[in-house]
Amino acid sequence: MIDQENQEVSNEEEFRKIEITVFRYNPQNSNTKPEYQTYTLEETPGMTLYIALIKIWSTMDHNISFDFVCRAGICGSCSMVVNGKPRLACKTRTSEFEDGKITLLPLPTFKHIKDLSVDTGNWMNAMSKKVESWIHAKEETDITAIEKPVEPDVAQAVFELDRCIECGICLAACSTKIMKEDFVGAVGLNRTARFAIDPHDERSDEDFYELIGDDNGVFGCMSLMGCEDHCPKDLPLQTKIAYMRRKMVKM
Amino acid sequence: MKIVYTDALIVGGGLAGLRSAIATREKGLDTIVISMVPVKRSHSAAAQGGMQASLGNAVMGEGDNEDVHFADTVKGSDWGCDQNVARMFVTTAPKAIRELAAWGVPWNRIGKGPREVIINGEKETIVEKDEAHGLINARDFGGTKKWRTCYTSDATGHTMLYAVANEALRRNVEIHDKKEAISIIHENGICGGVVARDLISGELIAYIAKGTMIATGGYGRIYKQSTNAIICKGVGVAIALETGIVQLGNMEAVQFHPTPIVPSGILLTEGCRGDGGVLRDKDGYRFMPDYEPEKKELASRDVVSRRMIEHIRKGKGVKSPYGDHLWLDISILGREHIEKNLHDVQDISKTFNGIDPADEGEKGWMPVLPMQHYSMGGIRVKPTGESTTMKGLFCSGEAACWDLHGFNRLGGNSVSEAVVAGMIVGEYFASYCKETHLTTNTFTIQKFLEVQKAYLQEILSYDGGKNIFDIKDRMRIIMQEKVGVFRNGKDLSDAVDELEDLLKMVKEITVTDKALCINPELNEAYRVTKMLKLALCVSKGALERTESRGAHFREDYTKRDDENWLNRTITTWTDPNDTMPTLSYEEIDISKMEMPPAFRGYGKKGAIMSNPLSEIREEEITKIKETLGKVDRFTTQEALLDFDLPKEYKRKNERMGVGYD
Amino acid sequence: MPQQDSTVELLTGKDSVGKKSKIPARLDLLQSATGLILSFFIIFHIVFESSILFGKAAMYRLTKIFEGEPFIEGGEPLIISALAFGIFVIFIFHALLAMRKFPSSYKEYQRYRTQSKMLKHSDTNLWFIQITTGFVMMFLGSIHLYTMMTQPENIGPYASSDRIYSDIAWPMYLILLISVVLHTGVGVYRLIIKWGWFDGSNPRANRIRSKKIIQAVVVVYLVLGLLSLGTYMKIGYDHQEEYGNRYSEVHK
Repeated sequence: MIDQENQEVSNEEEFRKIEITVFRYNPQNSNTKPEYQTYTLEETPGMTLYIALIKIWSTMDHNISFDFVCRAGICGSCSMVVNGKPRLACKTRTSEFEDGKITLLPLPTFKHIKDLSVDTGNWMNAMSKKVESWIHAKEETDITAIEKPVEPDVAQAVFELDRCIECGICLAACSTKIMKEDFVGAVGLNRTARFAIDPHDERSDEDFYELIGDDNGVFGCMSLMGCEDHCPKDLPLQTKIAYMRRKMVKM
Repeated sequence: MKIVYTDALIVGGGLAGLRSAIATREKGLDTIVISMVPVKRSHSAAAQGGMQASLGNAVMGEGDNEDVHFADTVKGSDWGCDQNVARMFVTTAPKAIRELAAWGVPWNRIGKGPREVIINGEKETIVEKDEAHGLINARDFGGTKKWRTCYTSDATGHTMLYAVANEALRRNVEIHDKKEAISIIHENGICGGVVARDLISGELIAYIAKGTMIATGGYGRIYKQSTNAIICKGVGVAIALETGIVQLGNMEAVQFHPTPIVPSGILLTEGCRGDGGVLRDKDGYRFMPDYEPEKKELASRDVVSRRMIEHIRKGKGVKSPYGDHLWLDISILGREHIEKNLHDVQDISKTFNGIDPADEGEKGWMPVLPMQHYSMGGIRVKPTGESTTMKGLFCSGEAACWDLHGFNRLGGNSVSEAVVAGMIVGEYFASYCKETHLTTNTFTIQKFLEVQKAYLQEILSYDGGKNIFDIKDRMRIIMQEKVGVFRNGKDLSDAVDELEDLLKMVKEITVTDKALCINPELNEAYRVTKMLKLALCVSKGALERTESRGAHFREDYTKRDDENWLNRTITTWTDPNDTMPTLSYEEIDISKMEMPPAFRGYGKKGAIMSNPLSEIREEEITKIKETLGKVDRFTTQEALLDFDLPKEYKRKNERMGVGYD
Repeated sequence: MPQQDSTVELLTGKDSVGKKSKIPARLDLLQSATGLILSFFIIFHIVFESSILFGKAAMYRLTKIFEGEPFIEGGEPLIISALAFGIFVIFIFHALLAMRKFPSSYKEYQRYRTQSKMLKHSDTNLWFIQITTGFVMMFLGSIHLYTMMTQPENIGPYASSDRIYSDIAWPMYLILLISVVLHTGVGVYRLIIKWGWFDGSNPRANRIRSKKIIQAVVVVYLVLGLLSLGTYMKIGYDHQEEYGNRYSEVHK
């Protein structure tokens, strides 16, 4: 039988041992100090960090905290730092690491909750409000009438940018964000680009300037491309930030 | 004692909850949404394939309208649905999708002229009309007469959820995430709000509102293999059950999706088959046409899942360390199509299985097996979305048994239901909140808070040495093996007994960490207890229902029995000390149906024990139609089944070529 | 009145009609523009300076051309002074603009360094090179430019060599050379990305290509610069006995 979390396979093979080291800290409890804890476990075929962590939690340490929701790379909950790189844990296979040693840290720049768990929700909501992440239209739509036509290519282009899952990896990989707390990051700038190309949105460049025309917005970006190079959805962040920058300097 | 007051309280921040929150804000009500996770992480985001709405823009959807969508939905439900609700739904769905378009959901759009598609494994060219250029496109899905499923590649739920969540933020809906509702506060049969636990600090907070809505989704995680996100534990449904007053409906109606990938159980959208993908067995043979000559891979999900298991039982499955499976082949669609319209499917298959489905031939086939996917059952509500037995408690989306889906939901009708229910139920809910006053007194609030506080302390004081994780695993295995795609009396009765034992066993666990603040083991302890109660509702309901209807299939009662079982299973938990739910049944009235029970058009033929009332109603319908003479379809429809809907949503929908007709 | 407007901005963060200041846009553009001008300057500067590789005469002729000899009899070193002054102004301005991005406190520096060490991401590491070399140049570049402004006549095969060797300016020039080449290389690469100049139809492939080309150019310039510096050292060493004597074409 299939067991997704325990991945018990029917044949009796010998599997290698892997060592997973986890940053442990509970800010809620003043008696605890930050520390690293190492767990040794058997690596089953196709093991991802999701499977490994669930195994650690259910069989070795019931008190370890981390966040998974969809476990399919769709929801963006499980971002963490894996051997230095911010990634989605559910999409990271343990077999990738040849020496079998994996160190997991919570995502920096977000409020730490416990162990590998951080608060991304409140930050992302605030960001969405800051860049007014919604369609601005002057007229109300009659929802019984045939919808406004959109060029198929344009719809596809908007969709490309709408694929962002607010996982926070672009921020954890960004030198500006790490230094300047209020920087909206690639996630925010990509969002404005998404609405800027959406034909439903009637905002002018000047309107966008009011949202991102400062050092917490597009001018804070130093083009270090940490976002572009770590984005798990392969969003074209490099070109879209440049696109917004070109628009904004024309103001 | 921490109390938060608001006008409208919504538990669950997925599509249904957030769309409802927009409805209450539009009426100027203070609205709080509490959610276990950041709302944009809700399981709605994982819906891939699309949303059904009868726009009829695409050439393959031509002639589509509410009536066709209604008929598909009723057949899909195996006549288990509430036809009144189905009517409300199909009338509102086109409005929902147009509203979402205006909110920026980048629906795939039609390009005029010829394009190549795969139909029934063959390449065909279809020509889209000039006037359809730029309108919302649709793809084919199982159990539908027309191409009706609108989509944004295979990330439809994601784009919908983001649009709705952003609109909620725009309207200043207050979002409190990392909060979990663990009990419903009620007094004199009226709901006053919930007791919620802050999942970080552990603090118990009473959220008190004029009206409360549960929109917490399904309970798929009671199964070992499920496509559901790991938060889909049904806690929202369970706390309603625990009131002892609220009824759950059709809990045994559990959908198994034909094509989750093996072994991770991550879903591969029905869009794979809708776009022309086929199922193959160990010999590479496409077997579905043998079983379902007409709909083939695109029969309804319950039928395809059963046929797959049937085929595996004939020894045609592919052996693997994880058990037998079948193949899903989408390589025939071509790389370009896959990379554009099935991007996430490709990503999932590459990441989790190392298979690129765009690779031609066997190399690109993905291993699939039916697994739990959707909960048709849930909190039984009236067409307004209000609980049948508790005032002021509303429910929408997958958590509800509104009853749009009966015993089987059609693919593409889930996210569609979520937003449509968010609109309709949201509207009724908002009106209710507007008209009522807060009545719950603080003494009651305190009592409910104290009960929960004591309950959590009690869990921490258990000292039997058993492990909650073992109990959970056992429950999930029982559900998987004994309450699965094929069910029988003996297994079901074993399942019920063993689940009852497990529920009693919860008092024998030991929680290692005694902290009340963030403590994932404590969370698991109370959640698993609630899950066990739901598992019991599912198994007991399945055991008692001695017929096969939709997704509920009994090997010992293989026929659909309209004479005895055209009803809804109603489950309650009358006493907190009970270890077994109480079952009763709610008749479904054939004489009020617009479409009396008949053969679905797919699945096994001759497997129906008809109810004589069906024929009588059929004759009645013919007579009504004759009397009416030549009238438009709306007049006929109203004469057969008159349904209520908020005025704004009852308006007719415009369509290309036919206007508002 | 501008005075009033800035007061409004002080108090509300926006101007008197409730709009955001456009200054950040100008600053961002100016940072890039000044950087670009300085890059062009450096690209030519190092080539001209390496004229010494073609012999003292070549270098002397080139210097004279810059002193305007074709138009002014004997050349006018003040032209060099003026040029140096112009560059100095742009240089200061560029430094001022770029400083906005520097870590401005221990906390920022600590967070930035720890994260970049953890991340091991090449473009992020390149920025560390950029801020370090930028910081170095603020001093060394200023010294060099000041010398050029005040002693424009001391450019020439012997004059320059004496300065480098006998006046022991070579350690400064060595560091300055490496800094300026690296800083320019990284800076130009950054400009290409920042503004999307060569995105083409495949921006990702073109980014890699830009990076490779720039790496090659940086190596060429470093080699060129080091060879030139070596040559000046050699001339300076040979010329130490005649320190202070100027090169003249009559010598030939």
